[in-house]
Amino acid sequence: MRKHILSLGALALLGTGVMLAAPASAAGPTCTDGKIVVGAVSTVTGPADFSEVPKAAKATFDQLNASGGINGCMIDYTIADDKADPAVAAQSARDLVENKGAVVMTGSASLLECAVNAGYYDKQGILSVHGLGVDPVCFNAPSISPVNVGPYTLTTAVLQYASTKLGAKKLCGIFWIVGGTDEAYKGAVARWEKLSGQAFGMVDLTLPFQGDYTPYVLKARDEGCDAVVMNTVEPQIVQMINTADAQNISGIKWLFLAPGYTVQVAKTLAATKQEIYVGTEWEPYTDAGSKANEGWNSAMTAAGMPLTAFTQGGYESASILIDVLKSIDGPVTRESVTAALHALPPVNNPLVGTPYTFGEAKSHASSQGTKMVKLEAGAWKVETPDWFILPAE
Amino acid sequence: MAVGAFIAATAKATSTRENRRSAGNSMFTSIVAGLAAGGAYALIGVCLVFTYRLVSIVNFTGAAIGATGTFAMAILYEDGVPLFAAVAAGLAAGGLTAALFGAVMMRWFADAPAQTKAAVTVALLVGMIALGLRLTGGQHPRPFPDLIPGAAFSLAGVVITKAALVTITLALAITVFGTQFLNRTRTGLKLRAMAERPMTAELSGIPARSLSIGVWAAAGIATTLALMIIAPQRAPNFLTFSMLVVPAFAAALIGSFRSFWLTLAGGISLGLLEGLAASLTWLQQFRSAVPFAIILAVLLWSQRKARWDEAR
Repeated sequence: MRKHILSLGALALLGTGVMLAAPASAAGPTCTDGKIVVGAVSTVTGPADFSEVPKAAKATFDQLNASGGINGCMIDYTIADDKADPAVAAQSARDLVENKGAVVMTGSASLLECAVNAGYYDKQGILSVHGLGVDPVCFNAPSISPVNVGPYTLTTAVLQYASTKLGAKKLCGIFWIVGGTDEAYKGAVARWEKLSGQAFGMVDLTLPFQGDYTPYVLKARDEGCDAVVMNTVEPQIVQMINTADAQNISGIKWLFLAPGYTVQVAKTLAATKQEIYVGTEWEPYTDAGSKANEGWNSAMTAAGMPLTAFTQGGYESASILIDVLKSIDGPVTRESVTAALHALPPVNNPLVGTPYTFGEAKSHASSQGTKMVKLEAGAWKVETPDWFILPAE
Repeated sequence: MAVGAFIAATAKATSTRENRRSAGNSMFTSIVAGLAAGGAYALIGVCLVFTYRLVSIVNFTGAAIGATGTFAMAILYEDGVPLFAAVAAGLAAGGLTAALFGAVMMRWFADAPAQTKAAVTVALLVGMIALGLRLTGGQHPRPFPDLIPGAAFSLAGVVITKAALVTITLALAITVFGTQFLNRTRTGLKLRAMAERPMTAELSGIPARSLSIGVWAAAGIATTLALMIIAPQRAPNFLTFSMLVVPAFAAALIGSFRSFWLTLAGGISLGLLEGLAASLTWLQQFRSAVPFAIILAVLLWSQRKARWDEAR
């Protein structure tokens, strides 16, 4: 009897041991065929080229694979070019999800991918750690959470900066409206009005992509605007500032969104008399001494990638995903990655001002901070060493 | 609430303003603001008419050829080439590109119908934009030197730049030159004959091919010069430069692709009209459609006497 009890006890102990050992042997992610398939749908050819974003993600994954991957699993990363064509974007997403078996999308950067594919991703139960959200749907979908601030939140942030830090009294906005983005920009202005308790000065939603900007510059002057926020891209920024110089405008602070923050814009406008600010989406990449940029800087330099804001987005989204994948216990499948992102606690990243979140929210705009840079003698100078973060509503 | 306040501010924006000028004065300011653009449209427009009258080709690549030369100039200047040499090289690049296109058109499409020739230039334009955007750094801007810097004078609160004045003067010069050249010179007469009856002209001993290529090159150089002057005031991008051909076309249509003077007047009025459109709230959002509306109106007007069967 005693012997029997002892053997039972031994069995029980053994059982406990096995139970204790079980999680230990399955700890960490596992995969079939030694790979984890990850996809990105980005605009590479067409009116814009955002390929630096997914290429930076690819470089980050390649470095991980070179050092043995995650538990021996290699990231198999495919970048699909949507050519800024909705039909191609839809087709690319279906190919990645259904044929290639992608478990998650990461580092996507496109003019229209979110608007086209957000609903499809939702139905398929796949999520996107977006590298660069552009269209408003990127910030309004349960299946997508971009790592960037985005033009709409950034518009509010730049306005808030102008009114609280630059002492601007009459704020105006001249916007270039693509597709259905007018509501999103109106919403951004309305959010600033709510935050500041002030009324907006003048808004013009008719700026053409091409054409003469003299009437717009004069309108801003004659309306008495002392700060003008604009959402144009590089060539149009240069045109607007050159036109303002030609018209001898003074006393207006010109504020642009992230697309203006490039070395080429700074060089091209080196001789301007205008006061120019840009809101960045990540730690300013031109700031050589920045500690926050160290990880990104060394990864991109090693990969021979350019040091731009786009590669910051690609690197950040890939880094976040790598940590999420590492946290999974058991097989890495679409379901397990989606569950891990849904349960993801806020992730701090030195490249952004506020923690990255995913969760099960209906919309995502976790990045709410900017660092403002000012154009001085052909180079960008950081005006806000600390993040300028929008107050929560 | 905030949205309401925002909409109210938008609506009020045009009616209440500090330092308010009278409504008429502000409208005049807007019209004058369109002068620089009008000069540019007129200048490229008269170059288009010049090409059409002499080689009977509706040339959609006009502005893109100018963009090629202008970008060549900017890139050379950026690389440290002195401005004068860079401008000369840019003009040569524009002229050579145009001559190359002229040679292609003469070699393979000399006897093709006008529609085919126009379609070929559209295809060339699409190819040039794709290639040009890639070669010139896409969206990244580059600095364009101000060939004619500074302000000439102020009118109704608008600074009229020297560049705008030179553009208009140049358009006027080409108009006078084009009219005189076609009507008063022997070469002009030969070229007109060639444009209207190429085969007959060639049989009667007119060197059609070299004359045509010469016309292409001359128009290419003129358009390049036009774009070099207006470049600093425009979005420095190959696509936007190339698409300047659209308003220039509207101007050329006003002149029915025949009259230099009407094209000149049409181009300048188009710029002024665009300026005016920017000041009228209800018209503002359709501002960039102005050239298209004019093209359509002119086409309809020109067909007003045509019966359905003929016009079809």
